[in-house]
Amino acid sequence: MDVRSQISMVFHLDKCIGCHTCSVACKNIWTDRKGAEYMWWNNVETKPGTGYPGKWEDQDIYKGGWEKDGDGIRLKGAGKPKSLTNIFHNPHMPVIDDYYEPFTFKYLDLIESSAGDDQPTARPISMITGEPMDIKMGPNWDDDLSGSPDYARNDPNFKNLTDAEQEAMFELERMAFFYLPRICNHCLNPACVASCPSGAIYKRGEDGVVLINQDVCRGWRMCVTACPYKKTYYNWNTGKSEKCILCYPRIEAGLAPACMHSCVGRIRYLGVMLYDADQIEAVASADEADVVQRQMDMILDPFDPEVIAAAKTNGVADSTIDSAQNSPTYKFVKIWNMALPLHPEFRTLPMLFYVPPLLPVVATVSEADHSERGGELHDIAKHWPDSWLYDTTTKELFGTIDDSRFPLEYMASLFSAGDTVAVADRLKKLMAVRLHRRLVTVGDVAKETVDAALADTNLTPLLADDIYYLTSLAKFDDRFVIPAAHREQAIEMIEFTGDVKGNTGFGFKVGSATRGA
Amino acid sequence: MGRPRAPKPSSLGRPFALAVLLASIPSQAQAQSAGEDVFRTTCAACHTTGADRLVGPGLEGINDRRDREWLIAFITTPDQVIAGGDSIATRLLAEYIVPMPNLGTTRAQAEAVLDYIRGAASDAPSPAQEEAPPATEEQILLGQALFQGHTRLTNGGPTCNSCHDVINDAVIGGGILATELTTVFTRLGGAGVRAIIGSPPFPVMQKAYEDRPLTEDEVAGLVAFLERADAEHALHQPRDYGIKLFGFGVVGAALLLGLYSLAWSGRKRGSVNQEIFDRQIRST
Repeated sequence: MDVRSQISMVFHLDKCIGCHTCSVACKNIWTDRKGAEYMWWNNVETKPGTGYPGKWEDQDIYKGGWEKDGDGIRLKGAGKPKSLTNIFHNPHMPVIDDYYEPFTFKYLDLIESSAGDDQPTARPISMITGEPMDIKMGPNWDDDLSGSPDYARNDPNFKNLTDAEQEAMFELERMAFFYLPRICNHCLNPACVASCPSGAIYKRGEDGVVLINQDVCRGWRMCVTACPYKKTYYNWNTGKSEKCILCYPRIEAGLAPACMHSCVGRIRYLGVMLYDADQIEAVASADEADVVQRQMDMILDPFDPEVIAAAKTNGVADSTIDSAQNSPTYKFVKIWNMALPLHPEFRTLPMLFYVPPLLPVVATVSEADHSERGGELHDIAKHWPDSWLYDTTTKELFGTIDDSRFPLEYMASLFSAGDTVAVADRLKKLMAVRLHRRLVTVGDVAKETVDAALADTNLTPLLADDIYYLTSLAKFDDRFVIPAAHREQAIEMIEFTGDVKGNTGFGFKVGSATRGA
Repeated sequence: MGRPRAPKPSSLGRPFALAVLLASIPSQAQAQSAGEDVFRTTCAACHTTGADRLVGPGLEGINDRRDREWLIAFITTPDQVIAGGDSIATRLLAEYIVPMPNLGTTRAQAEAVLDYIRGAASDAPSPAQEEAPPATEEQILLGQALFQGHTRLTNGGPTCNSCHDVINDAVIGGGILATELTTVFTRLGGAGVRAIIGSPPFPVMQKAYEDRPLTEDEVAGLVAFLERADAEHALHQPRDYGIKLFGFGVVGAALLLGLYSLAWSGRKRGSVNQEIFDRQIRST
C-alpha cells in the first residue's frame, strides 16, 4: 500500500447558479496576460451544451485521454510513437476558433471621438491581433441554452439518448439545463503528464497538484491534445503551455483557491483524500463499467490505523492526515457516496467530483375541469376556462427520479461512464435529504414518504442532517479543509536554515532580494 | 611544335638588339640564344617560325610583312593594341579568334625574338606535321585522373579542374576561373594544346606551373584526355529536361502531399464551430 495524499474537490451542482464569478476570479488572478486571454482555467458551461472548447467531450475529434489497450491502457492521441511522428504538426489540437478569439472593446472611442452626427461606438478589438474584429464566439456563448440548435443539440452526451428523448428535452415546457463549472481535475492518472515529451508536467508529491514547469516546457503541446478535459492551454506569447495550478500559492498559505473562495453559491469543497497509489494502473485499466467504483475503492479511510501507519511511513504529515479526517470531500465522495467524477471513461481518474444536480420535476400538468370556477370569481377576474391543472404537490417527488427532467442516461454519460444506477443512487440521496428537510421545516410531506426515502438510500435523519449541514450551512472552514503546507520542512530540504540563524533581530539590517539593502 | 630548335650560329646575327637586351656586349650566338629562349618559353605555344598555323599565325617573314615598331608594340602590349582598334590587329583577331595575351614581354625581349625569327625562318621545318601516335587508353585515363586531381601532378602543380571545366561524364564540377575546355582541341588543335600545357603562355598559368612543370607523360595524358573529351563532347552534353524538369517537380510535390494527406487523413480540420461561423454575418 503506497498511501499518498491528494487535494481533491467536490462541486455541488445542485447549488451552482452559473454566475461565472469563479471564472472571473481566476481570470483576474492568473490569465489576464498576453497570450493567455483566451484561456479560462476555470469555466462554467451550460449543460446540455458543447462547452469550451467546442465539443471537448468528443474524443473522436480531440483524441484526448486514455483508451483500453489489451489489459492496459494507452494514450488516445499522444504517446511516444504518435508524438514522434506528429511532433511538428499535432493533428488533433483545438484551434483558436474552437475556444474563441478573445476580444475587448475600444472604449476610449466613446469619450474621445470628435463631435459628429452619430453616437460613437466602442468597436470590438481582437486581443490577439489588436485589429477590429467581428465577434464570432465567446467562452460561454451557449450560456443558458442560447443558440440551442447549434450548441445544446450537438452535446456529445446525447449519444446514448434516443431521438425521442432528445426531442423531449427541447420541448419548451420541459426544457431544462444546469451548470457545469470545470477546472483542472488534478487527476491521479493524468494524460497530460504522460504525454509530455519534455517531462515538464508533474504531479506534486505532497498534494497531487498537477503543474507545468515553465522552465522545462518546450511547447510541443502534446498535453493540449492528451488532456481529455482540454484544461491545458498553449500560451502563444510565451510559447509554453499553462494550466490551472489550483492556486497553490494560496493553498500553501492556507487560503482556498480563488475560484472556490469567490464562489457565490458556495458549491465548492476542498479537502485532502488519502489514496493507494499502487492501484492507479489497475484502476485506470479496469473495465469501463468498473472504473468509477474502483476509483472510489482506492480512496482510503483516513481513520484506519493501517492506512495512517502506511501514510506516515510514506512521509505524509500528521497535519495532512488530520485534514484528511476532516475532509468535506471525503464525506461527500466516500462516506455519503454522493459525488461522481466527470467523464470517468477518460480513465485519467479525476480528483474533482461532482454532486449531480437534482433537477426534479416539481409540477405536473394534468387535465381538469375549471369551468365551474367561473361562477366563484368576480366578473372582472381573469380566469382560464381550459381544462389543465398545474399540480405542484410534493407527494410524488421522490418517485420521479427515474423520470426527471434530464434523462438518467444523460447524467450517466457525464458522471458515471453510462451507469444510470450510480447516478440514480446519488440523486435519490439528494431527494431524500430534501424531503427530510421539507418535513422538518415545512411539514407538508408525509412522514412515511420521508422515512421510505431515507431507508431506500440507507440514510438516517441524523446523517441527512449532516449532509444538509455541509450542503447548506457549511462555513468557510467546513468547506475548505486545507492541510498545512509545511514550507518550513520543504525549505530545509533545499538549504540549511542554521546558516541564517542569528542574522536577524535588533541591530542588524541584512539586505534581501525584495527589500534591498 | 614546342620542341626546342637548334640555334643557327652562322646566320643573321643582329648585334643592335642585343645592346638593349644585355648590359655587356653580346656575341651573335648569345643574341640568337636569348631570342630563341624567349620564343621557346613565350611564343612557341601558339606560333611557329615557319608558315604553319598553330593557335596564332606562322611567323615566317613577319619582319618583312609588318612594320617593326608595330610588331614590337603588338608583342609587348597586344591587349592595348587590340583594344585600341588597330585595323591589322582587328583583322587578325577575326581570323584567329583567340586574342594574343599580354605576356609581359619587354621591348628588348621582343626585339630579340624578332631577330631570332628572322634567322630561324630560312631554317623552318617542313610544313609536314609529324603524326603523333594515337593516344592509348591508359594515357586517356591518366589524363582524366590528372585533370580531376585524382592523381597528383608529379611536380605538385595545381590540378586542372581547380580552374578549368570540361563537359564530360568523367568530370564532375570543374572550376570556372578559366576557360571551359570541352572543345579546346577543335579550337586550338593538338599541337596548340600540347604547347600550351607544356609551356603555358598565360601569366597566371605560367606562374602556377613555374617551378612545378608537367612531365612529358602528364602532358601527353592530358592532351589525350582533352582530345577524347572534344571528340565525345556531343555525346556528353548534360541532359536538358526543359519544362519537364518543372513538371517532375510538380508531380513529385503532388505525390508527397497526397501521401501526407493520406497518412494524416484522420486529422482535425478547422474549427468544430466553422459551420456556425460560416452562417454569421460579417461587418466587412
